[in-house]
Amino acid sequence: MLVVAAVLAGMVWSRLAYWQVVQHGRLAMQAQAQYREFVQLPALRGAIFDRNLKQLVVNTTVYSAFVSPDQVAAGDRDRVATGLSSVLGVDKAKVMTTLASNTKFAYIQRRFAKTKADQLRPLKLPGVGLQEETQRSYLPGIATGSTLAANVLGFVDWNGDGKYGVEQNYQQALGGTPGFISSYRDLANREIVLGTHTHQDPINGQDLVLSLDANIQYAAEQALADGVKRDNAESGSVLIMDPNTGGIVAWADYPSYNANDFNHTDPALFKDNIVGSVYEPGSVMKVVTLSGAITAGAITPDTVINDPGVLSVGGYRIYDWDRRNHGNVDYTYVLAHSLNVGAMKAMQAEGHPAFYSNLQAFGLTKPSGIDVADENCLLPPAADKMSDSQYATASFGQGIDVNMVQMLAAINVVANGGKYAPPHVVERVGTHINPVLLQPQRQAISPQTAAKMTAMMQQVVQHGSGWTSRIKGFELDQAGKTGTSQIPVNGQYTQDVWASFVGFLPAQHPKFTMLVVIRKPHYPGADRDWTLNDGYMTAEPIWKTIAQSLVVDWHITPDPH
Amino acid sequence: MARRRLGTAGATPHVTAQPRRRRRTRGFVQVAGAVAAERLRLNMFGHAYVGVGAVVIALLFYLALAAQITQASYDMSRLQDQQRQLIAEQDQLRYQEVTMHAPAMVQQQAAQSGMQRVVPSSYVAGSAVAIDLTTPLGASPADATPLWMRAVATVVNAVGGTRDVMAATKH
Repeated sequence: MLVVAAVLAGMVWSRLAYWQVVQHGRLAMQAQAQYREFVQLPALRGAIFDRNLKQLVVNTTVYSAFVSPDQVAAGDRDRVATGLSSVLGVDKAKVMTTLASNTKFAYIQRRFAKTKADQLRPLKLPGVGLQEETQRSYLPGIATGSTLAANVLGFVDWNGDGKYGVEQNYQQALGGTPGFISSYRDLANREIVLGTHTHQDPINGQDLVLSLDANIQYAAEQALADGVKRDNAESGSVLIMDPNTGGIVAWADYPSYNANDFNHTDPALFKDNIVGSVYEPGSVMKVVTLSGAITAGAITPDTVINDPGVLSVGGYRIYDWDRRNHGNVDYTYVLAHSLNVGAMKAMQAEGHPAFYSNLQAFGLTKPSGIDVADENCLLPPAADKMSDSQYATASFGQGIDVNMVQMLAAINVVANGGKYAPPHVVERVGTHINPVLLQPQRQAISPQTAAKMTAMMQQVVQHGSGWTSRIKGFELDQAGKTGTSQIPVNGQYTQDVWASFVGFLPAQHPKFTMLVVIRKPHYPGADRDWTLNDGYMTAEPIWKTIAQSLVVDWHITPDPH
Repeated sequence: MARRRLGTAGATPHVTAQPRRRRRTRGFVQVAGAVAAERLRLNMFGHAYVGVGAVVIALLFYLALAAQITQASYDMSRLQDQQRQLIAEQDQLRYQEVTMHAPAMVQQQAAQSGMQRVVPSSYVAGSAVAIDLTTPLGASPADATPLWMRAVATVVNAVGGTRDVMAATKH
């Protein structure tokens, strides 16, 4: 008997322990939910400004119309449906169907402008309500279907989360911290005024000041769109950098999208080709290769080599772009005429370890770390894992993948006196300067090497493939390099190319460094002569147009001679 | 009921302290009711009427107060709604203002006005600075005023207390 009583008591106690100890948290929360009301106070999202404090994004209020069908009498349905369709332009039959349904709540239309809300309010339609929401509004771009700098800024979705670009990368700083009001309610759901209240104000998001220049951004987007259309290309991108700081001045993609209408945009357009895609840079890489060889003391700009137009490496015969025997040429000529054999010989002269170290010094073996979301990069294999032929092709920019930010930052080393300026888009977060700007810049190559390479790149513009980029008045003050590389598909190179041009001016005191990449151009007549798709025909004219805008807008003058 | 301590605060202490007496104070309603009943010579029903009247007055007062609070809350709600609408309008105007300064709109306006961007055909070339800013400063120019004039000026300054003789002689 005693045992039975003990067992029963044990069962009761264990059940009590289960509810009071194990389930305590859940039950306490359920109880709190019945008498406690928690209202979230949203934080105001920070604004984004360009380098001249021109506002690029504005928070605006939009409205969503909803209906509670159970509160609309059958006799009022037609009036309600007519009112909603006349103001919002929605299908009246669909609204009637919604009103006849048993649902308690349904959105009629989401996120429309205040003007429509002002028209709807006086109608006093029964069962219809308006819900206020905050929306990010971006500046108009070059066409009605695009907004300015959409790819670098990204957008904010309907949940208030930043997607892509700066909006995603700086979500925490921009979004701020929401506040709340917590109070007690009685059985009739009335607030108990004298009860315990907890109130915390929201902390609004911080404003961002970018290194972007809205005017240059617009000029870049316009010139790029015109160029891509003219070249019958698949797409194109432009990236402009301040050589001294690494701040991005313009970041343009074509095609782009309308960030104000992201929910009706093909998601494929959200992917940014500048930082989200990699490409083989082609001959632009020769700037890196030859700089490394000069630093290593393996060559000088005047070193003469024999270029028969072909070189056998690792069992492969690798040709110059024109397959011609160029005879004895110096390295200034090699760069000006973009000779692959010369680049390979320079790499061989300095040796594989030094070449690889040079890639590291120019930041091509790791992500650029730019403060824009979703950076994509394909890092080269370890130095001892690369074959001879891989080293050979990498010396002239094939078989090595980089993103545009990495490549521009690497070339900018030459423009910046041999120092690597970390690329970035945001200069200030609230009142704080981006820490990247306060760190000393890493010396990648010596200032002397940078000066020699600058002189060689000037020769590219004056006597080589950079001639179509010449700007009147700056002919002696431009430095540049073209690049054209075939696009591999399933391990095989195709006739489609990435055509690019990188350059800076004035050569001795650069004010900007710019990289233009055009993907799969089909220049008129290129079906007969594929070299018409080359960087000098496709990317360079775009570079020139944008550079002219920069010269005018920034009042850039040539260096004295 | 509230109890009140009677009269020692601030008073001069007596030599022989009297024993303190506590008196139960009567409320205002009780006093007023008793006085009114005494003067009006009310019977029991009279008392009841007065009581009910007092309750009705209190109820009316409560209702008036509640109505005022309700009205105030309506006003607050209306003003909050108005404020939200004004903020929304301000946001809209802000966006319009920012859009008007956007490069796309500026170019559109310029094109409508018949303006177009012209690429300069030539630039003013920079020239080397003619002045060497690194040269050290030379000696200051010698004072050419005759000695006798300086002596006179010193005397005049000392006597007259003026210091503009030298300046005056130059004009």
